[in-house]
Amino acid sequence: MSKSLLVISRQAPWSGPGAREALDIVLAGGAFDLPIGLPFLDDGVFQLAPHQDAKAVQQKDLGANLQALGLFGIDEVFACHHSLAERGLTTPASAQPLDSAAISQLIDRYDQVITL
Amino acid sequence: MKFAIAVFCAAHAPSSRRALLFARAALAGGHEIVRLFFYQDGVYSASNSVVVPQDEQDIARQWREFVSAHQLDSVVCIAAALRRGVLNEEEAMRYQRSAVNLDAPWELSGLGQLHDAAQAADRLICFGGP
Amino acid sequence: MSTLHVVSHSPFTDSRLDSCLRICGVNDAILLCGDGAYGLNNAALQTKGVKVFVLAEDMQARNLPLPDWADSVDYPGFVQLSLDYDKVNSWL
Repeated sequence: MSKSLLVISRQAPWSGPGAREALDIVLAGGAFDLPIGLPFLDDGVFQLAPHQDAKAVQQKDLGANLQALGLFGIDEVFACHHSLAERGLTTPASAQPLDSAAISQLIDRYDQVITL
Repeated sequence: MKFAIAVFCAAHAPSSRRALLFARAALAGGHEIVRLFFYQDGVYSASNSVVVPQDEQDIARQWREFVSAHQLDSVVCIAAALRRGVLNEEEAMRYQRSAVNLDAPWELSGLGQLHDAAQAADRLICFGGP
Repeated sequence: MSTLHVVSHSPFTDSRLDSCLRICGVNDAILLCGDGAYGLNNAALQTKGVKVFVLAEDMQARNLPLPDWADSVDYPGFVQLSLDYDKVNSWL
């Protein structure tokens, strides 16, 4: 049985390659049919904010990668409720909101974790 | 026990040295390192072009010597490396770049190698930041 | 289930330790290393009630006293800690 990996994504979308490179780890895992979970935490929740315009800063749209998650079998996508509230964001349709205790339990459920 | 060690920081970052010392301690303790995987700015830890003042620790060189001495499987993520201008001979030729700053013992490959190592190891441990 | 959280950023300039404290579980531990060692001055860390370790070389480099609520480890100790806990979560 495959080991499961939780990738905690904490970077804002336009702060450098961090957000994209976290998603790349997730998508690569999905391509190999591995059990991957993806909670967005802290500034990572900004990746889920609506109506962003990547072109305004000449960046590639992360939205396409986020939409691909389902196609790669990545269904366990979460957003930290505290981080969303702190940043004035509403719960996105694409991620299940979790409170801090639930995130703690999520980490316990997975075999390995990368926080980047 | 088996470790997969992932490095996310450049050779000049304290966490690269910390990763190296952890790796040495793991082997000294009788454990196995299934793979070292260099991602994000970690690709800079594998650069052969780093020049360090003589009175400072040359962590890039120490990584190279450690990997060679123990014949460790050491992979640099190709996508992260290209983006940061760390190229082996093959990629330098492919993209017509004048500098080759990645060579043996490092191997360029994809994120699949990180996942493969994580599956094989008892512990996945990452190093990055300060 | 237990996790060893590794924090290397200073809690005075960075929010990683705050976030870590928010989501860490009762059986977890936190290893402070690098500038994370400045967390030995962090009141929230002391009162959280999780086990706290600090990498000895980082404490020594910064001339930080070891409080009675934390333990220091060397590299062999760091390796052992990574095995004592079920997984390692480095706050990169």
